[in-house]
This record gives sequence, C-alpha cells and structure tokens, in this order.
Amino acid sequence: MGTNTVSGRAPSRRQVLGGLAAGAAVTGFPHIAGAQAKAIRVGMPTILSGRVAILGTSSRAAAQLAFRQINEAGGINGRTLELIDRDSKGRPDEAAKVTRDLINNDGCEIIIDGEASSGAFAVHEVIRDLPVLCLHTCSETSSLSADPKLHVKTAFRCARQGIHDAVAGGTYAARIAKQKGLKRWMTCSPDYAYGRDNTAEFLEFAKVFEPSIETVDQVWPKLFAPDYTESITKILQTKPQAVYSALWGGDLVAFIEQSNLYRLFNSITMFSGGLGDPPVLTAIKQLPPGLNTAYRYNRNYPAKPANAAFADAFAKIAGHEPTNWAWQTYLACQFMAEALKRTGGRTEGTALAGALKGMTLPAPFAVGDAITMRDTDHTIIGYPVAWGRTVPKAPFVEDFSDVDWSKIVELEAQWKKSKGYA
Amino acid sequence: MRPGLSPAGLRRPGLARDVAIALTGLALLLALPMAFPAPALRDFLIYFFAYGLLAMSLNLLVGLTGLVSFGHAAYFATGAYVFGLLMQTGRVSIPVGVLAAVGGTALVALVIGAICVRLKEIYFSFITLAFQMFIHSVIVTWVSLTGGDQGLRGGIPRPPVLGLDLNDARTLYGACAVVFVLCILAMRQVSQSPFGYTLRMIRDNPARANFLGVDVTAMKLGIFVFAAAMASVGGLILALFVSGAYPEFAFWTTSGEAIFMIMLGGIKIFLGPLVGTLLLQTLNHFVTIYTEHHGLVLGTVILVIVLGLRRGLADVLFDWLQARRAPRAAGPAPGSLEAEPIGDGALKGRTV
Repeated sequence: MGTNTVSGRAPSRRQVLGGLAAGAAVTGFPHIAGAQAKAIRVGMPTILSGRVAILGTSSRAAAQLAFRQINEAGGINGRTLELIDRDSKGRPDEAAKVTRDLINNDGCEIIIDGEASSGAFAVHEVIRDLPVLCLHTCSETSSLSADPKLHVKTAFRCARQGIHDAVAGGTYAARIAKQKGLKRWMTCSPDYAYGRDNTAEFLEFAKVFEPSIETVDQVWPKLFAPDYTESITKILQTKPQAVYSALWGGDLVAFIEQSNLYRLFNSITMFSGGLGDPPVLTAIKQLPPGLNTAYRYNRNYPAKPANAAFADAFAKIAGHEPTNWAWQTYLACQFMAEALKRTGGRTEGTALAGALKGMTLPAPFAVGDAITMRDTDHTIIGYPVAWGRTVPKAPFVEDFSDVDWSKIVELEAQWKKSKGYA
Repeated sequence: MRPGLSPAGLRRPGLARDVAIALTGLALLLALPMAFPAPALRDFLIYFFAYGLLAMSLNLLVGLTGLVSFGHAAYFATGAYVFGLLMQTGRVSIPVGVLAAVGGTALVALVIGAICVRLKEIYFSFITLAFQMFIHSVIVTWVSLTGGDQGLRGGIPRPPVLGLDLNDARTLYGACAVVFVLCILAMRQVSQSPFGYTLRMIRDNPARANFLGVDVTAMKLGIFVFAAAMASVGGLILALFVSGAYPEFAFWTTSGEAIFMIMLGGIKIFLGPLVGTLLLQTLNHFVTIYTEHHGLVLGTVILVIVLGLRRGLADVLFDWLQARRAPRAAGPAPGSLEAEPIGDGALKGRTV
C-alpha cells in the first residue's frame, strides 16, 4: 500500500512525489467511484473493537438487516442502499476522522452514527461542517438533542435518552417503593460522568414521586472494575432496602454474579437501568428472579408480530438477540428510508431533514401506534421506556410496566427549563 | 570547534539549508491538495500534522536528551483544551487563543517539569506518566469546565484570521500546514543549536556535562517545556480540526502511540518520527477500512520492525546511506587524514 511506497525507499524528490501521488490516488479514487455509483451510500462510524464492540457489531447487524429488507423491497426509486461501516475504536477524534472519510472519501450521502456519547458529539460537529443527514443511534446523553446550543439542522437522534429514562425509572421506582415500603436506598454506579448523572437523575425523579425515599449511602466502583466485593460488602453492612445501579455491560454482569455469592438480592430490592439488554441477561449464569430493570430490548415487548419478526431476522444475522442499540439503529434506518421516499430519493441533508422533522413512523417498537421524530429538538418519543422484572429463563424480563409519554414529556419540559434549554 | 557553529559563532551554516528545505516542504504540502483535490487527503494530512508534532516534540526528549517520557500526551491535551475553552468564550481571536494555549501549556510543563527532570531513567518515565494521569483525571472529573468524559461539546468557533476564513477546509489545511512547518523548523533550530548539542552531551554523559559546568537540571527543564509547547500546537491543530477536545487526548495510550511513532520511524534522523507518524497513520487508515482486527495487524507490523529491524525505518535508511558513504570516505588520498569512523556503533541511538 501507500505506506511502503512513501516511507520505505530512498528519499529522492522524485520518489517521494511518486509515493505521495500514489497514496493520494488510493485515497482519492473511491470518492469518484462513490459519486458515480447507483447505490446510495450510507456511512456508519461505530465501535467495532475493544470492550464495547458489541455496541458496534449489533448496530451494524441491525443496519445490514434493514438495508437488505429495503433493497429487497425495491430500494429507493430504484436505487439500492449500501452500508459502509468504519471502526472508531471508541476514540472521539477517530470517530470524527472516519466520519469525514466516509463522507469525503467514500461518497457517503447519509451517516448513521453508531457511536457512544463522546464519539457522537464528535460526529455531531463533523455534521455541522459537512451537513449531510445524520442519525445518532447510540448516544443516550440528553444534551445532544436537548441543548439548543448544540443543535445541528441535519442531525437527529434515534435513540433513548437519559432524561426520558430518568422520569420513567423514577415513576416506576416510586410506585414499587410505595407498594413495598422501600425507604432506605443505596446506589452502586460506575464512577464517571454518565454513572453519576444517571444516578442523580434517577434519584431526583424517584424522590419527586415518593418523597419518603432516603439515600442512605452511595458507592462508586471504578468503570471496568473486575471486582465488586468492596461495594457489595458495603451494601451488606449498610443494609438498605433497595439499591439502584447504573452499571452496564460486562461490569453489570460481574456485579450480579458476585452479588449472587453473597445472596445480596435475597434481602434487597434491586433496580437497574442496564440489565434489560438481552446480551447482558444471557451472560449472567444465574439470573436472580425479581430484579427490576429498565427495558432495553425484548422480543415480547411491545407484543407485536413485527417486533418478534425483527428479533428472529436479527438473530439470524448476528447470532444473538437484538441489543438496545440494534433496535435503535434498525428504527433509524426505517426513518431514513421513509425520508428518502418522501424526498423522491434526493439525498441533500436539508431536504431529508425537512422530511424527517415531525415524522411519525408505525414501528415494531412503538408503545402506541407510532414513534415520532419530534421536530423541535430532533429526537424520538413514543418508544418503550417500560420497567419489568427478571425471570431466570427466556425471555428473562416480564411484567413490563410502561409510563405515560405525556407525563414524560411534561416533566422533560420542566427539566429543560431548569437546565436553561428551553 | 563545536559542530554546527560558524566560525563567527553567530549563525549556524545549516540554517539557510534548513529554511530552504522547510519552504520546499511547505510548498509541496500546499500544492498537494491542488494536485489531488480529494478532501480525504487534506484530512489525512491534518491528522499527520497534529500527531507528527506530538511525535517530533516527544523525540526532543527521547532521542535528543535521553528522557523517555510516558506522559507527553498531557501537553497535547492541555493545548487542545486551553485553546478550545478560550475559543468557546467567543472573546478571543485564533492567534490569541493559540498563543495562550501554547503559553499556558508551557507554564503547566514548567511546574511539572521542575519536579520530573530531577529524576532519572525509569523514575522520570513513571512520574511523567503519573502527571499525565493526573491531568486526565482533572479533565474527566471537572465536568462543568471540560465536559468530563463527553469532551468539550458545542464545537470550537473559527473566526476569520487576517481575512482568512478557517471554516473553509482548504484554508484550514493551508493554515495548519504553515503552523506545522514552522514548528518543525523551530524544533530543528533548537536541535542544531548549541543548546541542542548540550542536550546531546547530557544524554550521553550527564556527569561529564555537569563537570563541565552545564546546569543539567535547567537544560532538561528547558527542553521539557519547549517540547510540551510544541506538543500543544499539535493538540490545538487537532482540536481546531475536529472542533472539540476529548479526554482520550490525555490518556496514556496517546503517549504510547507517540512512542510507537518514534520507534517505527527511528531517532537517528531528525525527521525520523515523522516517518513513523506517516507509517502508523497510513496503516491505521487503511487497516481500519478493511478489518476491525487492526490491533493484530498493527501489533504484527510493530513486532516485525522491533524484532526484525531492531530500529526505525528511517534509521535503516540512514545506516544504509552511511554504509555506502563509508568506503568512499575510507579510501583516502595519499597524505590525507584518516577518515573518522562513522558506523553503526558510532551513531547507535543518537539523533543527528
């Protein structure tokens, strides 16, 4: 490749120029090819390696599934959709680089952003510079779409967000607290911004709905910590009635497994924001029954044939049940395809953005009839924010209890005012 | 007579040649996007400028002075954050932001360096790593100022500079290229100055340098601060380009990458780390396109170079050129002085 040409030979001027020319040609030609191609190229920067690679691999599988279905149904005005994914390695600067590459070099006309939060903010700024349509499908940080200072005309979020989950979680927790008389609460969340913010918002809304809730202690294990013994013994010593945790992924699996050894859940009611993801549920060898968890994905909820069909089709491609990121990415692809249909196949960012604003889509994951892409802040509402209880065997979570979206929207508006966003 | 100084001692003879090479390099960099207008090439080169400055500035410590810093990315990140935060206030121009970022980073490096340079070898390396992780922790935990682990959000404004609109990608590229070449030239000047040769002496025999009256600590501190300032320029180029700053800039892996770049390129030739940067960035760019197992590919390449060549690629080239010249120099005319032996042993591990 260009590398050897440039750096491995004698540095005569002619050879250096030749090497650089070759390198430039390699990076330049795909751009021309992309511009002439019939397919609509859609770029996907995401995390495909490292500890959270499942975020990217499950998002990619969902996009592949959606594209295959759209193309088999005739594509967009005779044009097929082509997915080009790129690994950002979880680095925001790399996410910005590969997004620019996807647009400038590979000729991508739309970006499905499968980055975690910090990477999503980096991609967001690239879209400000290169205004193609962008759908963020993994970032749950509310400010990405709630903060008007960050608003980008062609960027949308097709993912759950922290404030919606906080209201739903607080409402559910308050109800259970009232029923069971849970007053003494503890938290055990990862020690970084997301863990602390998520926990604070959950407690804030839980106390709004049930003022008798008292936080008796909080423990903050390190992110990606392998051993939670210290946190578990602290919980056992403090003897709270309930524990909330914002742990997620492998950290949550380790925490649950280690808590089982101490029979922690025999005497404590557990609430978790991240347990509901099928890969997490299946990774736990002995899933205790009765743990309360937020919906991340479940093939039986919402109970619709289209939802089960999605789960089956996804499992054929990915080899496992869909993740939270998977359904969000699949939904983003459906929004994108509908926008392309409404613009007659035009891919200009402003045209697609105009079509997406306020779009209502009858999706397999809609709690009611449809999920809406809200026009004011370019984010989805009407998706599942339910909480349920674990059971040891598939489908692992049952008794989903949803929260009225009008209540969520009302409290979200108050939260926006308090943050200076509205 | 000390090498590199003119008899008058006022100006080193190689300066004009270096300036000419720098101008040629700059002209080439500015011409490249005209010849190959694909935006991806410009983007790639801006990344090369940013990480190239990080690697080159680190080599002032590693190759020139013998100080193996594991925490150099701290200054890369400091430059990016100071610049980004100042620009986000909307009250400063880009030149003022750049000067403040470089000055601020130099000040931070002065404080940290005053502690670090008193230690030697592995102790120096580990304390630089400790300070880097301290700065990383500050960035991650001071959420109200830095945005924490989400990074500096909201974009970095690019107000016009001397009538130049840096929101235009070609103008931004041109500005970055000029800054990059100026920094490389400044580092070359330092490297070839009496100060630079004093640093080589400290690297080779600090006790002897001290015996000759050199204030070793002050000299080390001087280059530590200068290298940090140069790294900060790399950081602010990247911040300007990606319109943000992120804690990953200050993480130890970024310092590790800079060390890889130096290892891949070599330390015998002044521009060796840039060869390593180009190699690593190119590999990263293409390998990432084709596989997510890039760590495996990059690790294999590094293993081959480290175990197979046992030196950087530019070093291989340099040694080969030296070996070719040696026989010519070794065949003296009758009555001439015997040529000074220049070989692998004489120059091993030294920046020239």
